Amino acid sequence: MKKYFKYLIFLFAIGLVSGFFIYNKPHQNIEKAKVDQSLTASKLFTEFEVDENAANQIYLDKIVEITGVVREVSADENGMTSLTLNTDNEMFGVICQLDNLTKHKRTDFKKGEEITLKGICTGVLMDVVLVRCVES
Amino acid sequence: MKLIKFFVLLVAIVFAQTSYGQKYFTRSGKISFSSDAALEQIEAVNQKATSVLDSQTGKMEFAILIKAFQFEKALMQEHFNENYMESDKYPKAIFKGAITDLSKVDFGNDGKYQVDVKGDLCIHGITNSVVTAGIITVSKGNISAAADFEVAVADYKIEIPNIVKDNIAKIVEIQVAIDYELFNKKS
Repeated sequence: MKKYFKYLIFLFAIGLVSGFFIYNKPHQNIEKAKVDQSLTASKLFTEFEVDENAANQIYLDKIVEITGVVREVSADENGMTSLTLNTDNEMFGVICQLDNLTKHKRTDFKKGEEITLKGICTGVLMDVVLVRCVES
Repeated sequence: MKLIKFFVLLVAIVFAQTSYGQKYFTRSGKISFSSDAALEQIEAVNQKATSVLDSQTGKMEFAILIKAFQFEKALMQEHFNENYMESDKYPKAIFKGAITDLSKVDFGNDGKYQVDVKGDLCIHGITNSVVTAGIITVSKGNISAAADFEVAVADYKIEIPNIVKDNIAKIVEIQVAIDYELFNKKS
């Protein structure tokens, strides 16, 4: 009886520890993450514009590396920086929200510079949105 | 045939006039929610809400991408997207509605205005009618909107398994905070 008890406690401890680790599973490390798709901002936007459902199938939740010219830089009250990249459409672009869990080499981006970022594609509203972006 | 042409023209004129009012717009609205259950507190923030407000008619629209919600814990975010919201199938949540007592708001004068908003909220593929109180703040020509309201998870056919029923609240609180910019048409 006593013998079983020892094993039982041991198993319980393992369960507790692994449960703790699963619960505290860290967010994906974007800097080290493998790029699933790599393309220009214009091309990504056009694909969403032409067929949203098809583009969702390809890009949603994927790590997308995107190259484009910065149209607008904005920072919100929490210090989170967002970049809008140019597309063929004059009004709408690709919005890249920089990752707040990563230490960025720089956040002083300028209008008109060409840049390559990678982030997680979350879909399209009027602009295509990428979150947790880092410069690559 | 002529009659149809005339009708189309008429409709076009009416639309042109109604859309003449000032429109305010944002792409970086903040919408967050919190679930306050017995065992666990869950909060998530979405900083990329798109919203349009027409100050002439009081119409407003919000749209967010479910996957753009950021959680404190990765596991929560995964469960939220995969098990509850099924964000592959339903990537967006959309609210379309209007301020019902627009006359209370003076967009030309600084101040805080209490308003009522009514409209349809579509989450998880299910549309329900929502009525909530909100605040429109006008300050030096800048307009912002804020609202807090509650949503019952069951109303949107989001099923919560019995095992986690003490971890996830049945009523989720939603906070909206939007800073609008004047929408000028670049043609």
